[in-house]
Amino acid sequence: MKRIIKITTFADRLLFLILISASVTGIFYSREAVSQSSGVVIEVNGRPEFTFPLHTDRTVSVSGPCGNMLVEIRDGKVRVKEAHCPNQLCVKEGWISKGVIVCLPNKVVVFVGGGHDHGKDTDAVSG
Amino acid sequence: MRSQDKYRIAVLAAYALALSGFESLLPTPIPWLRLGLANIITLVALMLYGFGTALNVTLIRVILASLFTGTFLGPAFILSFGGGILSTAAMGLTHRMFRNLFGPVGLSLVGAFFHNIAQLSLAYFLFIQRIEAILIISPVILFIGTLTGVANGIISDLLMKNILKNDHGEIQNISQA
Repeated sequence: MKRIIKITTFADRLLFLILISASVTGIFYSREAVSQSSGVVIEVNGRPEFTFPLHTDRTVSVSGPCGNMLVEIRDGKVRVKEAHCPNQLCVKEGWISKGVIVCLPNKVVVFVGGGHDHGKDTDAVSG
Repeated sequence: MRSQDKYRIAVLAAYALALSGFESLLPTPIPWLRLGLANIITLVALMLYGFGTALNVTLIRVILASLFTGTFLGPAFILSFGGGILSTAAMGLTHRMFRNLFGPVGLSLVGAFFHNIAQLSLAYFLFIQRIEAILIISPVILFIGTLTGVANGIISDLLMKNILKNDHGEIQNISQA
């Protein structure tokens, strides 16, 4: 140990400390950032039915009062691929990476982002 | 280029190749974890014989190692080629600009850091294209790289002192001993 200290300069040690602290901070920060964000919650009839990570591609079939609809998750984005409601507004909304897709006739709501506190900011229209 | 330089480059490249071959035999807990032992030779070449020798040694090592393992021009080759060039360039620049500031350990840390940066960016732009995956793995790789960088720096220092003590800077005598 003494020898290691002898052969390193002050700049060597400073660089080592910077790299170690930056990478350790990065490890914790990236874990947290990933676990908090990028979740997809699909609610049917006001109850959360599914929760998926946004970074895993998949297609989910959700059944509501008007029948099945397909929700597709791909490349960090979500869309309603197919629905049997009359006006197809949810399908026309296309891909989103943040926010909400609402299908009123089918009583299906697709949330993207943050995660768990969506109940708090529900307003009169979507509630 | 003098014939002595060529000879020196050949010997150093052979050492680097042997080390990288040895390293690939070692079992590692994570498959992509590399100790970067060959960087010891690059670093010693840089500090004793200058940037040109170090770059030559790195190029020969990367290309020949990929030919031996059959990965020439494949993804693994592109990654180690980019990493080797950028880390050697970064170490050379640091050595030239801050000659008295950084010792072998600091240079080795610079090399390890830029090696990983090059590999991560190449992996992102060419192969993975998934920024979350890169962001999650980056700090882990940089952390491990810092640890192996320190170890390689210490070994480089020992090796360099040995060469200077025994052979007055002439690596050619090592092979004759």
